[in-house]
Amino acid sequence: MLALQLLCNGIVTGCALGIVAISFSFVYSTTKIFHVAHAGVYTLGGYVAWSLLAHGFPAPVAFLVAVAACTALGALIQTGLYARLERRRATHLVVLIASLGVLAVIQNIVAAVYTANILQFDLPWGAKVFTVVGNVRLTVTQLLTVVCSLAAYAAVMWFSHGTILGKQIRAVASNPFLAEITRLRPRRVHVYVMAIASALVCVPGVLVPLDFGLQPYNGITPLLTATIAMIAGGVGSITGAFVLAIVIAELQNMSLLFIPGEWSIGITFFIFVIFMLFRPTGLFAAAR
Amino acid sequence: MRHLLRYGIGLVAVMLAVTGARADTVRFGAILPLTGPGAMIGTQQMRGIQFAVDKANAAGGVHGNKIEVLFEDNQAKPDQSILSFNKLVDLEHVPMIFTAYSGPSLAMAPLATRKKILLVNAGAQADKLATASPYLVNTLPTIGDEVKVISKYLISEGKTKGAILYENDAAGIAGRDDFVKYFPEAGGTILSQEPAQFGQTDYRPSLLKLADAKPQVMLVSITAGLLQMAQQYKQLGMKFTVAGTTFFADPATVADPSSEGFVHTQVRIDAPPELEAEFKAKYGVNMEFFVRQYYNATQIVLAVADKLLSEGKPLTGQSMHDELFTIGKFNGLIPLEFKSNTATVPLDIDVMKGGKDVTIKQMSAD
Amino acid sequence: MDFWLSYLTLASIYVLLGLSTNLLVGIAGIFSVSQAAVFGVGAYIVAFFLMNDVMSFLPALAIAAVCCVALNIVLTLPALRVAGDYFVVTSFGIQLLATAVFTNWTGGTGGANGLPGIPPADLFGKALEDTSSETILCVGGMVLGCLVFWLVMRAPFGRLLRAIREDELAVAASGKSVLRAKVSAAALAGAFAGSAGGLYATFLSFIDPSSFDLDSSILLLTMVVVGGARTLAGSIIGPFLLLALPQILTLVEIPTTIAAAARQLIYGVLLIVFMLFRPQGLAGEKL
Repeated sequence: MLALQLLCNGIVTGCALGIVAISFSFVYSTTKIFHVAHAGVYTLGGYVAWSLLAHGFPAPVAFLVAVAACTALGALIQTGLYARLERRRATHLVVLIASLGVLAVIQNIVAAVYTANILQFDLPWGAKVFTVVGNVRLTVTQLLTVVCSLAAYAAVMWFSHGTILGKQIRAVASNPFLAEITRLRPRRVHVYVMAIASALVCVPGVLVPLDFGLQPYNGITPLLTATIAMIAGGVGSITGAFVLAIVIAELQNMSLLFIPGEWSIGITFFIFVIFMLFRPTGLFAAAR
Repeated sequence: MRHLLRYGIGLVAVMLAVTGARADTVRFGAILPLTGPGAMIGTQQMRGIQFAVDKANAAGGVHGNKIEVLFEDNQAKPDQSILSFNKLVDLEHVPMIFTAYSGPSLAMAPLATRKKILLVNAGAQADKLATASPYLVNTLPTIGDEVKVISKYLISEGKTKGAILYENDAAGIAGRDDFVKYFPEAGGTILSQEPAQFGQTDYRPSLLKLADAKPQVMLVSITAGLLQMAQQYKQLGMKFTVAGTTFFADPATVADPSSEGFVHTQVRIDAPPELEAEFKAKYGVNMEFFVRQYYNATQIVLAVADKLLSEGKPLTGQSMHDELFTIGKFNGLIPLEFKSNTATVPLDIDVMKGGKDVTIKQMSAD
Repeated sequence: MDFWLSYLTLASIYVLLGLSTNLLVGIAGIFSVSQAAVFGVGAYIVAFFLMNDVMSFLPALAIAAVCCVALNIVLTLPALRVAGDYFVVTSFGIQLLATAVFTNWTGGTGGANGLPGIPPADLFGKALEDTSSETILCVGGMVLGCLVFWLVMRAPFGRLLRAIREDELAVAASGKSVLRAKVSAAALAGAFAGSAGGLYATFLSFIDPSSFDLDSSILLLTMVVVGGARTLAGSIIGPFLLLALPQILTLVEIPTTIAAAARQLIYGVLLIVFMLFRPQGLAGEKL
């Protein structure tokens, strides 16, 4: 059944998008930085994993090294760039443009090294198809995406509410000024946040290209959609971001049943703009 | 104010430096997408040209002159193309420019007419290109020609109910419009059509929606992401025939088992094995379709230049244009003839079987 | 010669856009990445009128400017309801929505194929066919725009805008309408952007959605930041420099296979370096 298949596909892409949204939200709610270079970290993760696989390393190793690379990159961007800008009291616009610069650098290094061609992962088991309820067909990669994304979501929730560092991060996010005065050391917390967010975004960064192929310039669209999910869900709410990401993915998929395909992206943004006019704080806004 | 003056002078100085004089070589231009979503194809095209030029130079050049091609990156954008066009023509005085992609080519066409610069296109196939400018020549058939042929073939095979998957950009839409026009003319019906964004590779929603209309054949007009489309088609368990034009000839897609049974028209352009090996040794990748097309186009241009120089005539856009049509028939990688601004070339119908493209019928695009 | 003229023409058009962006972002403090959408609307309106022979260039330009004034007011109203950072994403959304409309509304904008064959601008019945007259028109437009900007900034309105930038609360407390000032600034920005669009359409004689997408909006922002925010000089230097940059970068010898990516990379590095070491741009005030 068409609708059911579209629904399931929406869940798959929504879950991946959800992790991008959560990781971006993590950075934004804590540091208030609109970290567009996050799209670059997302892109790099996929390419690192692909490289290792192409050199014969087993899949788990490739994945872990990719995660490590992303984490390192995220921490580097924070300490090397954002922290410096913050010390100079740079405005949001300046930081945004610097972040854009980083994105351009990452994307073009990748394009120069790997060429602009769409690269395919060589993992035959990923394409194996399972037929689940009611004639819906899903590949192993798609199922894996859902499982890993849900696991990552659960992990972030546990981390944020159950661990000391998680609580520190939430504290810094909710009141940076106070955090500065107490011994929470916001600067160091920012590094942790960037590192964790970058590690997180590597999950969809590897799984989505596994399904759809790798391209150097492809990170910005998921990032933008993810930020919409973050804002619509309420900045600071992890669940909000994740749920809204799935909602948006479903909107884009299911809207095909009613309107011509070329308008599905347009409709999503249109709904978002209207939403912003009437409920700018989002659906699940964190209590202030 | 002092800022303006300071930076203004600096800028002019740099710009003057850019326009430095170069010595006695024959120079042509090429405006291709070298970054951005079109870069995958643009890079192939650039390599095709460069490979042909290097070979020619190694063999002594054109009538003893070295050849140089100046590449400009337009990111497949029309306004960048116009800036690059003016730069190549005004500052570098090139008589001829290689172009690619329908949008930029159409944007530059009026300029080419006005300035009498030969524009050679070996990649774009929009129908409008056939008549966009007397100075724009196409070395491959337009999409319309290919669509006519594949439509006739499909109807003859009994596949009369079609659905269209097209890329939402100039090239894809041109193909879609042609399918909408010629498939019914050949006796079929178009049940529905779905777009895909250029550069994105999630085809599942569009495929599903198309499949819902229960077509016998899906007519495809996309230029990138074919492998992903084929794989998703297979994963979703779809069974209808998939048909397309020369865009299908992507080696990765052909080799992949999910494309089994895909049928398409193919502009016949083969390279001899020694040439392919030489290319592979130099660039590390296979000599793909657009490489061959632009290699072939470069050979045509060099043949024209050679003839002009050996007759002692100057190399201008106008002389090259006139000489191209005077010579008329060329024998590069394939035999082709310019009876109009669009070359007449052999056109095959191929089907993908067992990882290879197999020709089942040969036709001529007339 | 034509190369220099076309560079000058395009730069003039982008200076108008720079003034527009500076007014909106630098002076009114409304962070917008949807200026390219407004630019596009102006271009498509003028193209439509000229191609369908409805009216000549100047009236078409005037109508485009007015429409863009209205559009900008409508688009920036949410900015004033919504906190600064949220508006960034709304603005992204508006820009992407506009691109979707430009690409898919084939009836109005020609869709992805764009609108080829736009007639050249005409002044008082005489068509401007060759490059030099087009250049004079656009440079004239630029000079006019700069004059308007300069006069506005010196007028009480300009001082009010500056005061708002310094301390919005104080201005509001003194009884002046902050909302009205910001909306007026946005309106003026719209007029600049719409006019630039009309000039662009007639100069290139071909427009398509790719000239008015998110990348273009970001380029505009970059021009303003690198050239210098909030100043007239910055609005001029930024466009001239950034348009020239790809050409300047071709001076650097890089192997052809990675040349284009390498140049974009250098561009990205320049942005980072600029933001780190000279965030006020070449000729601007600190943002």
